[in-house]
Amino acid sequence: MVLDLKLRTQLDIPLEAGIISPDRLAGLTESEIARVPLIHGNRKKSLGDFFDISGTCDGEIRLVGDFTKVKSVGSGMTGGRIIIEGNSGMHLGCAMSGGEIAVEGDAGDWTGAEMSGGRIVIKGNAGHMVGGAYRGGHMGLQGGEIIVHGNTGNEAGNSMRNGLIVIMGNSGDFTGANMFSGTIIVFGELGIRTGASMKRGSIISMRHADLLPTFTYSCFYHPSFLRLYLRRLRDMGISIDDAQIEGGYHRWCGDSMELNRGEVLLFSGSPGS
Amino acid sequence: MVNKTNPENPIPENPIIKNATCTFCGCVCDDVDLTVDTEAKRIIKAKGACAIGKAWFLEHGVEDRPQALIDGCHASMDEAVEEASQILANAHYPLIYGLSDTTTEAQRQVVGIADIIGGTIDTTSSVCHGPSGMAFQGVGESTATLGEIKNRADLVIFWGANPAESHPRHFARYSVTPKGRDIPNRKKDRTIVMVDVRRTPSTKASDIFLQVKHGSDFEVLWTLRALVRGRKVDPAIEARCGVPLAELEDLAERMKKCRYGVMFFGMGLTMTRGRHFNTSALMSLGTDLNKHTHFVVIAMRGHGNVTGADSVLSWQTGYPFGVNFSLGYPRFNPGEFTSVDLLSRGEADAAMIVASDPASNMPKAAIERLQNIPVIALDPKTTATTKLARVSFTTAPYGISTGGTVYRMDNVPIPLRKALDSPFPSDETVIRAIRKRVTELTADREPITGDLSAKVPA
Ligand code: SF4
Repeated sequence: MVLDLKLRTQLDIPLEAGIISPDRLAGLTESEIARVPLIHGNRKKSLGDFFDISGTCDGEIRLVGDFTKVKSVGSGMTGGRIIIEGNSGMHLGCAMSGGEIAVEGDAGDWTGAEMSGGRIVIKGNAGHMVGGAYRGGHMGLQGGEIIVHGNTGNEAGNSMRNGLIVIMGNSGDFTGANMFSGTIIVFGELGIRTGASMKRGSIISMRHADLLPTFTYSCFYHPSFLRLYLRRLRDMGISIDDAQIEGGYHRWCGDSMELNRGEVLLFSGSPGS
Repeated sequence: MVNKTNPENPIPENPIIKNATCTFCGCVCDDVDLTVDTEAKRIIKAKGACAIGKAWFLEHGVEDRPQALIDGCHASMDEAVEEASQILANAHYPLIYGLSDTTTEAQRQVVGIADIIGGTIDTTSSVCHGPSGMAFQGVGESTATLGEIKNRADLVIFWGANPAESHPRHFARYSVTPKGRDIPNRKKDRTIVMVDVRRTPSTKASDIFLQVKHGSDFEVLWTLRALVRGRKVDPAIEARCGVPLAELEDLAERMKKCRYGVMFFGMGLTMTRGRHFNTSALMSLGTDLNKHTHFVVIAMRGHGNVTGADSVLSWQTGYPFGVNFSLGYPRFNPGEFTSVDLLSRGEADAAMIVASDPASNMPKAAIERLQNIPVIALDPKTTATTKLARVSFTTAPYGISTGGTVYRMDNVPIPLRKALDSPFPSDETVIRAIRKRVTELTADREPITGDLSAKVPA
C-alpha cells in the first residue's frame, strides 16, 4: 500500500523531517505514524500535527503539497520509493544509499548531498550543492544517480567521489569542483570555473565552455563510455540526439593544481569534425 | 585645576585617558590619547586616531535617549528585559544577529542565549568575511600577527582591499611605512602590491598595481598558483583577467623570491562571484608559496570586534558564524543558517540584533521579514533597526563607556579603556539579564535530544 502524507498547513518555520522515509515508517499503522516525532523549528512535534495521513507504508510514500520548508525528506533511506507531488525542500535524500525519490516540482539546496546509492529524479530545477559535500565534509556523492530536468545552482557534484549527475538544463558555477571521481553530464550551459580543483572524474557538456587556465587540451575523440551512458539515459525516457551519442568530443584535462587526471569533454557538434 | 563641586576629592577637570583603544575598524589602534570634557560629557580630543577614528570618539557623547522602548513607548529596564525574554523564549526559530560592535564578554553571553533558546546565531561575518571562515575550514590558513608583519614582511600584497579608506592607519602602523626589525628602511625595504578592479585612494601607496577585470579574481589566483608551481599558462588569460601574463609571471617570481610575504584580502575578494572559492584560492596560493619562502594571509576585517565574534563563536560552538541550535547541538551551514538567507526565506520568527544595523544594509526581502516579526535591538544609537524593533535598549558604546576585550583583525585580543561614564548599561549587562530570564522561561521546555527515529512514543 502507498502511504499518503498531505501537508495540511502553510509552513514558515522549517520542519526537520528526516523521519519521512520508507525505512522509518514501514509497517506502522496510521495512528502510530501520526505520533512519530519530528522537529518544527526548535520544538518537538509529531507528524500528525502537520499532515493528513492515509494508508500504510510498504515501501512507497506519496507526499502532496508544497514541501519547500520540509527538510531532509528521505535522508539516509536504503530502499523504497518517495514521490513528491510538488516542490521539495533542502537536503532531500541526503546520505541515502538506496531506493528512489521522484519530485514533480523544484528541489532545494543539498539535494542528494553525500548520497551513496539509489536515484533522485527532479522534474523542475534544483538548488545549489546537488550531490555535493557538506561544508567540512570530505566527500559528496559516492554512488547512485541524480537526474535534474531543469537547471541547478552552483557547486553541483562538489567533492563527489562516484556516481552520476545529469543536468538537462544549465548548471551554475563551480560544477564538479574538487571532484574525486564520477560523472556529471550537463546538456545546457555550464557556469564558469567548471571542475576547479578536480582530481579525477568526467564532466561532459553539450555546449562550448571556457575552462580555467589550469586545464589543457588533450584531444578530440569519440568516447565509448559516453555512448553507454547516453543510451541508458535515453532508455530512461530522456531525449538524447543521435549526434550526441555518435558525435565527437574535445577532451580537456585538469585540474593541474591537483592530480590533473580529471577530464572535461565538450561536444563538438557533428560526428566527424 | 580641581573639580569645584567636590574639593575633597579633586579630579582633573579635563582628564586624559592614555592609550585608549579605538574600535572603529579592525586595526583596533590601542595608542589613542583621549581628552574628556566631563561637564559636556564628551570626548573633545582623540590624539593619534585617524580621521574616522576621531569622528567615532567625538560623536559619542552621552545621548538623551530613553533607556528602553517597547513598541516605541518608554519602558523600564526590567519591563524591556521581560518583554525581550518572552519573545525569545516563545519563538520557534529565533535568530540572533550582529555582534561585531560589542565586547567579547558580551558576545559569549549571547552565544549562551542562542543555545538556551534553540536559535540561530550569526554575525556580520556572514555578509563580509564569511567566505574566509569557510576557506579556513576548507583549506586552512597560514597566518601571523600584524606585529610580525611589520617587523619582517618585505612583500606586502593587498587584494580587493582599500585600507586607505577602510583602515586608515594600517599602512602607517603595520604594512607600508613603519620601521621594522628586519625592515630598517621602511617603505624602501618593502614592495607593495595592490590587486583590485579599480584604482582607489590606496593605489598610490603601491609599487605595483594590477587592475584585474571584474569577477576574475579566481582566475588570476589560479594562474598565479599555476605559475608558482612552474606550469605554463596560455597568454590568452589576459583576455579573461585584463592583466598581461608577463605581469602575473613577474608577481609569481616576486612571491617566490621574497623573504617574507603577506597577502591581505578584503571584501573585493570575499563578496564577489566565487566567494569562498576566491578566499580558498588565495589561501591555497599562500600554502603553495610556503614551499619557496615564508608566506602568510590575513583577512582585512572591518568592524571593531568582528574578529572577536568569530573567535567566540568558534571556541564556544566550533564554527565561526551561521550556527543553528534548533536540534540542541550546533550545526554550521552557510546558505541555510546565515541571516540573509534565513530572513529572506521568511523562516525566522523573532530576531535579536546586537550592535548592528541590518535594517539599513540587508537585501529588501530580509528587511521585510524583520519588519514583520518581533525584533529586539541593542544599540547605543538610534538606527533603522532600533526603529523597527519591538523592544530596543540603549546601551553604552563599547570602548568609550565600557571596558572589555576586542580582537584585532589578526586575532590579538586588546583591552578597552573606558573614558566616559554612561547612564546606560553595557551590552553585556542587558544580555546577562535577558539570559537569566530566558533560562527561567525555558526551564521546563522538553529538550530536543535523543532518538528521533520512528520509535513511536507509547
Ligand atoms: S585605523 Fe581604525 S582603529 Fe585605528 S584609529 Fe583609525 S579607525 Fe580607529
